[in-house]
Amino acid sequence: MEPDNPALDDFVLMLTGAREPRILFLPTASGDPTAQINAFRARFGGRACVAEQLSLFHLDGSTRTLEEVVREQDVIYAGGGSLRNLLAIWRAHALERLLIEAWERGTVLAGISAGAMCWFEGGVTKSSGPPEPIAGLGLLPGSLSVHADGEPERLPVWLDAVARGKLPGGWAADDGVGLLFRGRRFERAVSSRPGAAALRVDAVEGELVRQRIEPELLGAAPLGLPPPGDDILELRAVQRARQSRG
Amino acid sequence: MEAGNPLLDDYVLSLAGPARPRVCFLPTASGDADHYVVRFYRQFASRCDASHVSLFRRDREGVEGDFAAHLLSQDVIYVGGGNLVSLLGTWRAHGLHAVLRRAWRQGVVLCGPSAGSLCWFAEALTAFHSAPYRVQGLGLLPYSNCVHYDAEPARRAEYRRFVGDGMRPGFAADDGAALHFRGKELARVVSSRPRSRAYRVEPIGDEVVETPLDVEYLGARVPELASA
Repeated sequence: MEPDNPALDDFVLMLTGAREPRILFLPTASGDPTAQINAFRARFGGRACVAEQLSLFHLDGSTRTLEEVVREQDVIYAGGGSLRNLLAIWRAHALERLLIEAWERGTVLAGISAGAMCWFEGGVTKSSGPPEPIAGLGLLPGSLSVHADGEPERLPVWLDAVARGKLPGGWAADDGVGLLFRGRRFERAVSSRPGAAALRVDAVEGELVRQRIEPELLGAAPLGLPPPGDDILELRAVQRARQSRG
Repeated sequence: MEAGNPLLDDYVLSLAGPARPRVCFLPTASGDADHYVVRFYRQFASRCDASHVSLFRRDREGVEGDFAAHLLSQDVIYVGGGNLVSLLGTWRAHGLHAVLRRAWRQGVVLCGPSAGSLCWFAEALTAFHSAPYRVQGLGLLPYSNCVHYDAEPARRAEYRRFVGDGMRPGFAADDGAALHFRGKELARVVSSRPRSRAYRVEPIGDEVVETPLDVEYLGARVPELASA
């Protein structure tokens, strides 16, 4: 759910093969905030899909059990936030088991930030303030570190954890990069932003071996244009701030 | 934090001791909902040293650094309502269970509505996405608890059924009624609404018996108008 760029979201919907896939948003990692739910509805509400969110904090009058809700879905989309809280809350509601069963049935599991790392054996979380390694659900082999370009303080913590064996080797992804797995096998990297990339890192006999992965650029973003410079990004941020002030 | 009715909040502050008590809000059960945090500060900031601990945005807001030390230095810890299971799961992940138990032993006043009440008991009845079910709380109070007793009639029947089926005996409270425990003993029942009730619910013989408790209304007594 990148603002102004639906490329990754459309990619996720396309993976199901369904004409009108059912997509369930789990905003658990941020405590089900209204803003995140609104962003989800704004993005998916007008697309060829049936979109709903599952709140684990607010009663929405639903009488369906969690199992019934999860079973109906073609896509489960986990939002960003605190990975530690996400995992603890899913566990407390016994939702973890339902998601694993959904994955085994072939439901597409997707997510952003904490909602992406949760599917791996481990990741780097800022749930307690400073970045630190944390175990995930372990559906996907290896670890994932997110925001490699957007939050530079994460990457060294991840590299150190991999070097010391606290986390298995894995992937670091820039913002805008999606990693696609079929079953437990990494298939390819895609991207919504020119210039964004992923990094594969393994510890081999105590040494970190790095390999840059060039993702396939998705959608309508013009090919071959260089990424916007810092001055352009700053200008856009100012414009967005002005617009939001109305 | 009842809308337009500060009676229970005033009562909690009266238990705290200092004229300007330190009150920390834990909005975890609502997912640290912004509007709830704002409501807390509106209600408490003028007369207390008010703070909140966010477990969803620890890198960005609320108390920074050692929240355990912060919680242990409070006069009152106020736990907001919301979802009990999500509350307990999040607390466990951040080590809050042990911190709150220590705070209780030290004499910090622990309070809260709804999930913020249920959490202190050994067992609680909660309802979410399905029929009501039993949840283990922190267990500071060795009883069961049921809230919204008047507001949600299904809960009343379910709670009695659960207690009949082996859930430990406990206390049920209408909206507006507050159970005040000193240590593990029920000291008083007070209310912010003239008609709120509370009950001891326990199996006696083959029956589940609901014994009404004496409830002290905290507001000014207004003579009842003769009904037309």
